[in-house]
Amino acid sequence: MQHNLKFKLPDGHNEKQFFGKLADRYAIIREPTVTERFTICDTFDWRIFNKSMVFFASGNRLFLRKLAEDKIRYSAESPSFPFFIWDFPDGELRRQLAPIIKMRALLKLVDVQSRSVPYRILNPDEKTVARMAYEEFHPRRRKNKSALVTHLWLRPVKGYPKYLRTLARLFQEAGLKIIKEEDVFFKALEVVDKKPGDYSAKLNIQLDPNMCSDQATKIILCFLLQVMRINEANIEKDLDTEFLHDFRVAIRRTRSALGQIKYVFPVKTTDRFKKDFAFVGKLSNALRDLDVYLLNEDKYKAMLPPMLRNDIDPLFDHLRKKRSKALQNVIRGLKAKKYAKILKDWEAFLNKPQRDSETTSNAKRPVIDLSRNRIYKKYRNVVKVGSQILENTEDEMLHVLRIDCKKLRYLMEFFSSLFPRKKINVLIKQLKKLQDNLGDFNDLRVQEEYLLNIIKELPATQRQLKTTLVAIGSLVGALGRERRMVKETFADTFTDFASTGNKELFQKLFASKAKEDVA
Amino acid sequence: MTTLAIYSNKGGVGKTAAAVNLSYLAAQTGAKTLICDLDPQGSATYYLRVKPKLKSGAKGFIRGGKEVYRSIKGTDYDNLDLLPADFSLRNLEVSFDNLKRSKKRLRKILRPFKTEYDFIFLDCPVTISLLAENILNAVDYALVPLIPTTLSVRTYGQLLSFCNQNNYDTGKIYTFFSMVDRRKNMHRDIIAAVSKTYSGVLQSFIPYLALIEKMGIYRAPVAEFSPESVASRSYQNLWNKVQKTVLSQSKHH
Repeated sequence: MQHNLKFKLPDGHNEKQFFGKLADRYAIIREPTVTERFTICDTFDWRIFNKSMVFFASGNRLFLRKLAEDKIRYSAESPSFPFFIWDFPDGELRRQLAPIIKMRALLKLVDVQSRSVPYRILNPDEKTVARMAYEEFHPRRRKNKSALVTHLWLRPVKGYPKYLRTLARLFQEAGLKIIKEEDVFFKALEVVDKKPGDYSAKLNIQLDPNMCSDQATKIILCFLLQVMRINEANIEKDLDTEFLHDFRVAIRRTRSALGQIKYVFPVKTTDRFKKDFAFVGKLSNALRDLDVYLLNEDKYKAMLPPMLRNDIDPLFDHLRKKRSKALQNVIRGLKAKKYAKILKDWEAFLNKPQRDSETTSNAKRPVIDLSRNRIYKKYRNVVKVGSQILENTEDEMLHVLRIDCKKLRYLMEFFSSLFPRKKINVLIKQLKKLQDNLGDFNDLRVQEEYLLNIIKELPATQRQLKTTLVAIGSLVGALGRERRMVKETFADTFTDFASTGNKELFQKLFASKAKEDVA
Repeated sequence: MTTLAIYSNKGGVGKTAAAVNLSYLAAQTGAKTLICDLDPQGSATYYLRVKPKLKSGAKGFIRGGKEVYRSIKGTDYDNLDLLPADFSLRNLEVSFDNLKRSKKRLRKILRPFKTEYDFIFLDCPVTISLLAENILNAVDYALVPLIPTTLSVRTYGQLLSFCNQNNYDTGKIYTFFSMVDRRKNMHRDIIAAVSKTYSGVLQSFIPYLALIEKMGIYRAPVAEFSPESVASRSYQNLWNKVQKTVLSQSKHH
């Protein structure tokens, strides 16, 4: 089976001249030009691009293809543009995209227009034996309308391989080159100044092992500040829940860095900003909680017996109302002078040279030493607390362990560039399993409590209130059952994490210097 | 995948015109469609502007598999492929007879195409012997064009009794009226009588039209060179009836 061939016209080459020459040899019929418009979309953090795929919408159709491939892998029809995965029609396209974009909104990145002129090549029977098409892509709604990409397609007709071979040879003799690795995606985004993959919530920090610890810490904190700045601007637009989430994670990481990377800055400074960022974090606690409940709406409903599923709607209506108020509060908080001053002072601190004091004993230490020391200590701390829980499982202790794990995780991620990538990733993965267990347990506990408290807020006059209360009660019960199941798996999960294999790897990567310190 | 034969045990009833136009209309719906020209005269092949040539001739055809696959040609229309005729197919009957399981050879030859195509149309030569049995064994449905004349109806009766005698399911046989001249009283009367007597009569008429004969000049389906014509609409109507009446019911195979 022969495939479609894509050719690039040499610079200054005119396709009409080319077809003119070809017409001396073959009967060629030009067919009506086909114009199409499409919009390339992705999430703010480039989730589709990161999977080497391109998603675009044209009219009421949606398409997914691989990067640098022309073949459409999945397509679907949708009467309106789906901003979220739950707006997509059921089908294969939705199933493919769901695990990729999850809860993130699709943003329209750039509008492109394609113009395609098809030609047919005929044999003496006037039978079509090959097809060609001249194709151009232009940016839409731009002053500079020059073509982004132009190319010539040569497409076989089944059963006429000789014609295709001869034509392909003629094309190449005329200076046309076969192209494979080219995608209009990049050219189109270039026009609108967008760089694929330029934002990711993941920490991407390159450190030098011999760098001074204070300098390295500032690099980490500058990166986190940048994440805050990028996301804070988008929280108000309320496109999806993840701008706030990424913003909050950056704050949490900042606070953790201030607390965990000890004695690199003057204590006074550290204490001030720890307090400040605790304040900034609290601004959006309520909003994030509500986001989580609303994102889980379908999951919660699925936990209920079918006959109670609609009865719980008044709860979600109530939460939605609460959320819009909470969003306004957050927006107000982010516009307030206090917030602006905190971030301005913070930025100034990060940008000005360090002044040493007696409380900065770690400032000039090579970061490789300090990071080993901190990570290993935290690891031992996690193992100690976890082992105590194995003997006596108290919910409060699980909470303490969860916080310790988080601190360890952040430290490992801050400094991951200093260690062999594969090895540290194995350990982060192991830690993540434990964190997931602890996180699930904590989420369920908090959710049960929250639901029991929210009952007091639901308007008492509603006729449906009684049935709603029954549904909430049933949900609390279901959450409780799940929480107990999660708790039962803690022992195994923790034992896996604290295994000898992991212990040896932690020792190998982080312990050598730490031991000297202790000595 | 659905296999349909356009079949008749009487000549000159509009089989090939129906096969070409129906397969074209099926392909237009986006369904991957193959039309197999089993008639050594190669009229369907001619209509679609392809040379009547099978790689390795009837021998290769009978062997089946890759060799048949390599003979398939893309037509000028999206989703429509053709397995061309070959003059050597005139010996198909005899060749089948020399083989084991001689009545089910065609079914075996077509089997590999079932995954690739949504519809396979067979344009059949006039026959009521071993080849006819091969066709009846190979297809899900047979569409029989019927000219509303006494002789035509008589031949149709012969086909049905042939099926009954040889234990072929007459439920997969449908008929439609072809080359109809509604000005003729006899045509109208016979249409009414046949519709009453037989089951599986599609209420759709292909009129006797010069335009259909012009397919030989234009070498294209009528919907291609005269989309708004009565001829084109009659085939569209027939295809709608086939989809609604024949294809909507559960398959026999």
